[in-house]
Amino acid sequence: MRRITMAIATAATLALGVAACGGTGDSGSSNDGAPVSKGTKLEAANITLWVGFTQRELGVVKDAVKQFEAANPQVHVKVVGGINDDKIIAASRGGKSPDVAQSFSADNAGAFCGSGAWINLKPYMDRDGISDAIFPPAPRAYTQVDGTRCALPMLADAYGLYYNEAMFKKAGLSGPPKTVSQLVDYAKKLTVKNPDGTLKVVGFNPDMGWYSNTPANFGPMFGGKWVDDQGKSTLGSDPAWAKLLTWQKQLIDWYGYDNLVKFQAGLGDEFSTSNAFEKGRLAMNVDGEWRTAFIANEVPNMQYGTAPVPVDDDNQSLYGGGYTTGNIIGIPKRAQHKEQAWALLKFLATADKAQVLLSNGLRNVPTTASSAKSPDLKPDAKFETFLKIFGNSHTTTTPITAAGSAPQELFNSFVDKWQAGRVKDLQGGLTDLDKQIDAQLANAQGEQVP
Amino acid sequence: MAPWIVGFSVFIAYPLITTVYLSFTHYDLLEPSRWIGLANYDYMFSHDKQIWPAIYNTLWLVVIMVPLKVMFAFGVALMLTRARAGVGIFRTIFYLPALAPPVAAALGFVYILNPATGPVNGALRLVGIDGPLWFNSPTWSKPALTLLLLWGVGNTMIIFLAALVDVPRSLYESASLDGASAWQRLRWVTLPSISPVILFAAVVGTIEALQLFDQAYVGATVAAGSASSAGDPSNDLGYPENSTLFYPVLLYQQGFRFFNMGYAAAMAVLLLVVSFAITMFIVRNSRRWVHYAGVGR
Amino acid sequence: MATHAPPVPVTPVAPVRRRVPPAVRRRRLLVAVAEHSLLIAAAIAFLAPFAFMALTSLMTTDQALSPKLWPEPLKWSNYADVFDQAPMLRYALNTAIYSVLATFGMLVSSIPVAYALALLRWRGRQVVFLLVLVAMMLPPQVTIVPMYVLWAKLNLVGSLAPLIIPNWFGDAFSIFLLRQFFMTIPQPYLDSARVDGLGELKILLRVVVRLAKPAIAAVALFMFLLTFSDFFGPLLYAGDEESHWTLSVGLAQFRTLHQVQWNLSMAATILVITPVILLFFFAQKAFVEGVTLTGVKE
Repeated sequence: MRRITMAIATAATLALGVAACGGTGDSGSSNDGAPVSKGTKLEAANITLWVGFTQRELGVVKDAVKQFEAANPQVHVKVVGGINDDKIIAASRGGKSPDVAQSFSADNAGAFCGSGAWINLKPYMDRDGISDAIFPPAPRAYTQVDGTRCALPMLADAYGLYYNEAMFKKAGLSGPPKTVSQLVDYAKKLTVKNPDGTLKVVGFNPDMGWYSNTPANFGPMFGGKWVDDQGKSTLGSDPAWAKLLTWQKQLIDWYGYDNLVKFQAGLGDEFSTSNAFEKGRLAMNVDGEWRTAFIANEVPNMQYGTAPVPVDDDNQSLYGGGYTTGNIIGIPKRAQHKEQAWALLKFLATADKAQVLLSNGLRNVPTTASSAKSPDLKPDAKFETFLKIFGNSHTTTTPITAAGSAPQELFNSFVDKWQAGRVKDLQGGLTDLDKQIDAQLANAQGEQVP
Repeated sequence: MAPWIVGFSVFIAYPLITTVYLSFTHYDLLEPSRWIGLANYDYMFSHDKQIWPAIYNTLWLVVIMVPLKVMFAFGVALMLTRARAGVGIFRTIFYLPALAPPVAAALGFVYILNPATGPVNGALRLVGIDGPLWFNSPTWSKPALTLLLLWGVGNTMIIFLAALVDVPRSLYESASLDGASAWQRLRWVTLPSISPVILFAAVVGTIEALQLFDQAYVGATVAAGSASSAGDPSNDLGYPENSTLFYPVLLYQQGFRFFNMGYAAAMAVLLLVVSFAITMFIVRNSRRWVHYAGVGR
Repeated sequence: MATHAPPVPVTPVAPVRRRVPPAVRRRRLLVAVAEHSLLIAAAIAFLAPFAFMALTSLMTTDQALSPKLWPEPLKWSNYADVFDQAPMLRYALNTAIYSVLATFGMLVSSIPVAYALALLRWRGRQVVFLLVLVAMMLPPQVTIVPMYVLWAKLNLVGSLAPLIIPNWFGDAFSIFLLRQFFMTIPQPYLDSARVDGLGELKILLRVVVRLAKPAIAAVALFMFLLTFSDFFGPLLYAGDEESHWTLSVGLAQFRTLHQVQWNLSMAATILVITPVILLFFFAQKAFVEGVTLTGVKE
């Protein structure tokens, strides 16, 4: 009996000891904090780069990385694709951390910077004489929070409307729709049903929660604002959102929500070769500028056009704008080789060579002023549309907060319910949502209440 | 033997004690754990919007899925005892699905129950029924999971089979002599004789229901993946509309996606208490209907 | 049943050579046919999912997205393509390492504990047995938080060590099963060995293990199957480190990570299921015996 009691006592002490200990932060990272002095030669190292890209796009990134390795032969970079934000968050707590990490959601810059998961890059930038003025205003804004810059932009995305010109011609339509009522009209004309009543081709899919259909993307159609000047959520107080949701629901009801879900279940993955727009299951679709590269690669003979998203009939001056966000790239706290990581990051985010290579390959928007003017950028009429959208004054991005992408996620859940017809009081629901988002934000910033 | 015994005990006792301790702290692995008393529990019962769907979903499994599973296993085993030819083959066929790794089975079922292209809805269409949206529908996602779990009923079925075969023939014979019909023999001879096994199956089934994770995770993320672009699992867990958000899934999300480890520990403590309570309840109640044969015990 | 008919045994047996009135014979035949039809229908229902998965695995990408049931042409190359898309062999290797090491460790540690619980007398025996029961009922989610923290501090998160090592300290379910079985070994066997001067360890190895071979085989088989199919554990500890993924984790991420379509996903699924089915066919007896052991010997 005594032996067993001893064992349990040991266990208890162990438990309390382990739990009382600090975080898992220190796994022997070489240089903590300050960068080495200017002019110091870069030491040899093997570093890891995490990116979210896969397949062909991953290949483009690897090409850019090869250029870096050619210029810095003592540094070897292992590129790992398919990373999502969950993995980046987990890496800051335990397990292996990469030296450089890239994320698709600029929204999470807030969470990474706020919690210290990604290091402050300012000391490195100051030492190497890089000013953040080389970035256009939007990317400059979504890579920092409250003055702490923990990320640099690595190309940006702009969203617009893709439309299938062949289908338009067949239906006797010309040119892209410019207003939302035109959009609905065209969508209905372009929709084809199977003999048994199920949807065969959908003119425009209004379901927010599918592919790149998100409130962030549809917001610019009505000019919706996410926050006011004090940073408080305005989903309920800005009438544009209620208007958007009401308009959208009407189109959903015309198709029938269940019919849409069924239709979506039979579609290919967004980034696969069976993408619904590329396969002709969809006549019009809101998508990012990278789609031009996918189409050129997978269905080069497709007759399609690109245009800004249609806008509210009552507010047509909004036309030409859209949603923009971008990739962010930073150095996690637990990176082992911060100097080499910075060298790679600097190259990918600021060197013209890298920006142009990535832009041409990924068909993303370059994020430094100089690379945007580079003669090496491949011209492309369909891609031009997005460059224009990127530069348009009505183009918006989602606000960066310490709550990361939580506001988006909360709004997405709300929209899911709304679309399924489970929200009876739209305005009340939106006002409640604002309260939730504000509470979430307070939570993330202030006292760490569970 | 001693070192093994001590080691084993530590591996059980240590996590238990630590979990209880952590449930009173805020711990996100970035800084040391911070004592916050009952705040986690307060949040759980008054503020967390997801805990009630999670509890409801898990209880749904216990109340609906477990009885279905036990009855189905019993029914299949009973059918097998009546078979004359090829019992071995049938038994193998019924057992095979239980061998499939849960992830593989779940993936297969999401495909089969795909509302647009899956064979099940295709077959339903042939007879003029508009099949439900299964894993994409908040009302049908749990039934879809139930079908998946019923498919894998092999282990329970084998146990019932062994028990059924063990029922002394003499009991049936004397019942027949007394003029009992097939149904009456079932009710008064078979069921009481195998009641310990029914109890066992119910308890094991309940424990499994309280811990269901793999199939729910795969079902939700795969079905949602065909609807959304980001491959971000933490957004998809519980798809659609929290209908597949079971208690263990929420615990995982809180603890290992959001790193609210203190809160996850609190959830774990609640799960422990409820697991014991339900099991005790079943076992206590069993005295009324479980009949242990006096022979050989 | 007619009260004048002779009693009929329920278990299947050759028909009694007696003149049975044709009405009764017809009725029995109908019942038998009904029961068999039900059995056959059930068998078809149980096999159907496998069949659908196999058929889909041979389809082209577009066909897999359509309601068509039969693939044309039969794309056997899908199975090769799976290996191109994802490092299935590495996943299989990881799974094998995990399963083999965990099973071996479990045996080495559980057998002595079960033996001590079943056949030796010592103080604290009841407490430890109670611990075993508690551990069996414990939902794994209850212990993962502190265990994860522990492994994170030891810097082992990202590998499969956190999954393998605990098994070297015994597995509650296996201990329980083995104990139940060991308890059926008559003391005289052990006593005569003791009289011969054998130490406890030797008794365990020479006498007990040999007698308990079927139970040990069953327990090893279960452990292997459990670790092979384990998803939650590898997801938690190796989920962020692709080079350490097991088959189950790789399969779950197959669609999102590699943007592949259903046909390849189903091919991968079949590949993951096949080893287990093969194992079953080779070790059928042990399987069924083992499952029976869990339920009947209560």
